[in-house]
Amino acid sequence: MSRRALISGLMPFAGLACLVAWPLVFNSPYDLRVFTLVGIYSILVLGYQFIFGHAGALALTQGAFFGIAAYVTGILGAKFGWSFPVTFPLSIVAPVLVAVVVAIPVLRLESHYFALATLGIAQVALLIAIKWESVTGGANGLAGVPGIGAFGLVLPRGYPTLAFVWGIAGVCALVAWWLMRSLRGRAFQLMRTSELAAMSIGLDTARLRFLAFLLSAAFAGIAGALHAHTLRVVSPEVLEFHVMVTCLTMAVIGGRTRVVGAFLGAFLLVQLPEWFRFLEHYYLIAYGGALLAMIIVAPDGLVGLLDRIGARLGLRPRHTLPAPVPLPSAAPEDVTAEVPLLSVNGLTKRFGGVAALEDVSFQVDRGEIVGLIGPNGSGKTTLVNIVTGLTPADAGEVRLMGQDITHDPAFRIVQRGVARTFQLIELVDDMTCLENVAVARLTKLGAGFGRSRSPTEVDAPFGLAKRQAAHLLERLGMLEAAFEPAGNLAQGLRRRLEIARALALEPRLLLLDEPAAGLNEIEQQDLAIRLKGLRTSGLALVVIEHNVPFLMAIADRLVCLNAGRVIAVGKPSDVRADPNVVAAYFGAQPADGLP
Amino acid sequence: MLTLQLLVNGIALGAAYALCALGFVLVLNATGAVNFAQGDMVMAGGFVAIALVSLWPVPGLVLLPAVVLITGLLGLVFSAIGYFPLKSRPPVSVFISTIALGVIFQNVAMVTFGPEPRATPPLLVAGNVDVGGLTVSIQAIAVILIAALLVGGQHVLLMRTRLGQSLRATAQDREMAAALGIRVNLMIALTFALSTALAGVAGLLLANTYFVTPTDGTNYILKAYIAATIGGWGRLHGAIAGAMLIAVFEVMFPALPLLIPVLPVAIHGMFSQTSASIVLYLALLAVLFLRPQGLFGEIAQRRA
Amino acid sequence: MRYSWLTGLAALLMLSPVHAQQSAPAHVGIPVLVPITGFLSLEGTSQRNGAVLAIRNAPPNLRVQYDVVDTSVSPEGAVNALERALDRGSVSAVVASMLGTQMLAMLPIALERKVPLITVSGTAQITEMGNPYVFRFFPGDDVTKVAHVRYAVEELGLRRLALVYQTTAYGQSGRRHIVENLAKHGLSPVFEEALEVQVRDMLPVLSKAMAANPDGILIHLHSGPTALFIRQAAAMGVGIPIIAGSAMHQPPTAALLEPEELRGVCAEANASPVSGGTPEMERFLQQYREMFSVEPDGFALGQYDGTMMVLEAVSKGARTAAEVARALADMRYEGIAMTYKSDGRGNMAHSAVIMCFDGRTRVPKVVKRYDNITGALTP
Repeated sequence: MSRRALISGLMPFAGLACLVAWPLVFNSPYDLRVFTLVGIYSILVLGYQFIFGHAGALALTQGAFFGIAAYVTGILGAKFGWSFPVTFPLSIVAPVLVAVVVAIPVLRLESHYFALATLGIAQVALLIAIKWESVTGGANGLAGVPGIGAFGLVLPRGYPTLAFVWGIAGVCALVAWWLMRSLRGRAFQLMRTSELAAMSIGLDTARLRFLAFLLSAAFAGIAGALHAHTLRVVSPEVLEFHVMVTCLTMAVIGGRTRVVGAFLGAFLLVQLPEWFRFLEHYYLIAYGGALLAMIIVAPDGLVGLLDRIGARLGLRPRHTLPAPVPLPSAAPEDVTAEVPLLSVNGLTKRFGGVAALEDVSFQVDRGEIVGLIGPNGSGKTTLVNIVTGLTPADAGEVRLMGQDITHDPAFRIVQRGVARTFQLIELVDDMTCLENVAVARLTKLGAGFGRSRSPTEVDAPFGLAKRQAAHLLERLGMLEAAFEPAGNLAQGLRRRLEIARALALEPRLLLLDEPAAGLNEIEQQDLAIRLKGLRTSGLALVVIEHNVPFLMAIADRLVCLNAGRVIAVGKPSDVRADPNVVAAYFGAQPADGLP
Repeated sequence: MLTLQLLVNGIALGAAYALCALGFVLVLNATGAVNFAQGDMVMAGGFVAIALVSLWPVPGLVLLPAVVLITGLLGLVFSAIGYFPLKSRPPVSVFISTIALGVIFQNVAMVTFGPEPRATPPLLVAGNVDVGGLTVSIQAIAVILIAALLVGGQHVLLMRTRLGQSLRATAQDREMAAALGIRVNLMIALTFALSTALAGVAGLLLANTYFVTPTDGTNYILKAYIAATIGGWGRLHGAIAGAMLIAVFEVMFPALPLLIPVLPVAIHGMFSQTSASIVLYLALLAVLFLRPQGLFGEIAQRRA
Repeated sequence: MRYSWLTGLAALLMLSPVHAQQSAPAHVGIPVLVPITGFLSLEGTSQRNGAVLAIRNAPPNLRVQYDVVDTSVSPEGAVNALERALDRGSVSAVVASMLGTQMLAMLPIALERKVPLITVSGTAQITEMGNPYVFRFFPGDDVTKVAHVRYAVEELGLRRLALVYQTTAYGQSGRRHIVENLAKHGLSPVFEEALEVQVRDMLPVLSKAMAANPDGILIHLHSGPTALFIRQAAAMGVGIPIIAGSAMHQPPTAALLEPEELRGVCAEANASPVSGGTPEMERFLQQYREMFSVEPDGFALGQYDGTMMVLEAVSKGARTAAEVARALADMRYEGIAMTYKSDGRGNMAHSAVIMCFDGRTRVPKVVKRYDNITGALTP
């Protein structure tokens, strides 16, 4: 154990040593220039990892941001003679501003539309650079961009420029690592795996994606400015699609989310064509072949390949279970008890011409377990989606402790104390159980992305989130599975894990969508006991179920929906005996669990 | 009169774009992945025809079956190298592998045929015919006819044959298709073959009028990508309509000052070819903003 | 077959360095850094072929070492290639890409490392920066566009000229000089439009140009677009003269068109090697065809002449790269295409020719020669 720990502990230092040794060994002006370019492209790819890797959006604007920054540096430097301290910040600001403007119409688009829209924007930038001759120098571009310097002093080529560029690359790497380390990176992983789940734990996914887009633009700005200073010319070539493809390839070949991946990808893709130069006409064929081989051999990037090799050698980091810490007990509520916890009044929703919900009203009190039954297609899940803000209502209102939440966005409703689980379980399969829960705990603790505290206390929320997550797993009787990837669990445990994650949000109201589906008898009994136990803390539950015997055992009241209308409300035994309910079930289709 | 003539040119260009876009969408539906080398397959089709004609100087129409066969085989090889090793990976991996294959194709063509633009032989004969005062090149008419035949044939293949049924089932739901006893991998390989063969024919058709160079692919893939998007992701007929729209727009927009004489002279300069590209992209952004599901709606289901 | 020039090149690479019989041959390093891939590969390949042929014909007292390195079309690729070449042994001169943006990126390094760049780039800017290490062996737009416009206006008597150019550096620079030269004749274009390289259908632009009622069309387009334009013009039967830029003189451009479609089309260039003429030109033509199995163009010839001038400077005693640069700046050299002499800024070529196609063959005839346009050859 200790030797392996030593080896894996030494790995970063070995990497760093290689990094320093490379330019000392390969030290001709040519080698130094190529290595400087590696540094610049690393920064570009680090930025691209935010939007492409972490946020999971295939943006094709990174090349355009890079080019825009290069042009700002080029125009201000070559035409106006401004120097680095002025042009550098402006070159970062310019692409960020473009990103802000572009984000408004584009960022809400889905995958391939987003990709194409961003590609369109990049093409427009290229055409403008070619056409606007008086400012951009047209197709020829601008020559005479000054080197990096200030107050009349210019950094010479070779080691000084290399050191400066790599210094900035180092800072960028630290920033990227710090922003995405630990659970915050996991929050992004959750978002790109399941946007629904991310919203259900109170993550403002639109805001996260926006921030990632801006960070990408800012990093691209840094890289573009340095590229213009290093090359001393700017031409439309920096805006061409080729640059974007190179950046994308670097990210995929290196690794999409890890800092080291950005450097490995940039290094390989800058060096590869240079190494193949001796092949003359055939070097691009060799380059294409190497690229192809790489993506087949290392589909998760070089970082993934290294991880796999590390795992083979037994270098996997050992987990130590954090000591469970209970969640803080809920503060006494100052709301008068007469106001129901949840009240739904006259809720109506239509899809096309079909009414999914028609004038639905009911209430849920504190500490109550309400069962929601009804045949398939009766509107149960739609109701939950409206209450949790995933689907807008056409008419009616939803009040939580008297406050109108009908039009609140999903993440805000979560923050107000409404949590849920999904009929089709939404977990991140390759994250451990502990992480799945801890991410939700982190958003509750308010240490999410962009809400960082001062650097001295940043690690505290991460640690606390994990320890409290351990407590929740313990409470649901699955602490021993803490380091198991969620994808390895059996159905029963997956359900419980989803409930643990929802509980991490300290909800007042928990909505469970078919929690007993797919569970065997024993698992069902176990779940029923656990759900009843939850109520002791004042938590109210709304449970959607087909399995009426399961509900009979736990529910205080039942609400029955049919064709979007409430047809019965009351004690379980009364509702079950209601002729309307019997007719609805047997009239529509054979009931799953009716006696 | 000019309007008609421009329209014929636009439709001929659009017909060739449509073949390329059609192949793009076929692969997209079958695999969920974007084939970024589809444009390079157009280029490859052009060069295959040029290589054939240097051995066997016959009109393009005679070459057509041979081009279909060779580029179809190329598609099988393509899928074996670029798709199957990565089929359980996220689509972006296939995106990169097709980029790599595109680089290889481009440079093999460069080394084999040299960098200069080349022309394929005309389908029948070179020259123009007068149709009621309209000068139309015989090639343009032939291109439109061949493309229409191929699109129709492709439709019949997919809708009326057992093979087509299997291909469609595979595109709709791979697991279900496998459960029904369809040989899914074979179907995907055939889809690739069909897709590259369509692109290859587009190359043969285009390279007579517009020549071919090894680096032409980029332009065609962008057009196919845009056509597939405005036509509705995954819609075959939408992609054809999208390709037509783009081509007709490309040809008509710069000529607008002639077609609409009332436009003030001061803004004639806005109708240049470059503005046509800018306007095309802006229009695309507008389409995406107002109708994110594409002009004709989307059918391709999301894949996890 | 098509790729036989490659075999030729391979054979040549095995032969290099060229062995000379003389005792104590001088060593010369001339890296060839040109765009063999990308949109300028046709021209880049001509540059390479011209330079390689010149190196083969080097004076016997020289031992020439050279590498061909592809710069592709990015400034980054060119600068990397240059730094790399300078790191690998002593260099007397560099055969450098004709792409303007690449030249602009390489110039500061050439200045720093004191190495002359030998190019056929037409971009005006490269010789306007006061850099003593750039030598251009193809007439710049300030020479060729004078010939282009003078031929149209003085010889053909055209007054209402339409102008179509490319949205590339080549097109934008050419357009500026054409408009300036027209102004000297008191004219301005009756129609102007820029085309992207990807534009396929020339009908819109031709229709618009014809609507302006011109008596001639000046085009300044790359190879493929030039052929597309002329073919469309022939199909429409425009019936007015078309005077094209240097891309039309390249044999692959003419090969795309039927001789009949070329009837009445003229083009400017530094020379038309395929038209032959002088015994030196015929010999060049024959050697070039033998070696590369393709037809040479003016770029190949310009690069050949430039490289030969470097070799002569070395054989006359210039040893270091800086000495070569000084010699090039002072020498007068009788090349195959023309007489070369620097105007003090590195512009070596001061003559241009106009050639026209007669509609029967794809080989043009030189119809007019404009020598010493800048006056730099006048002592």
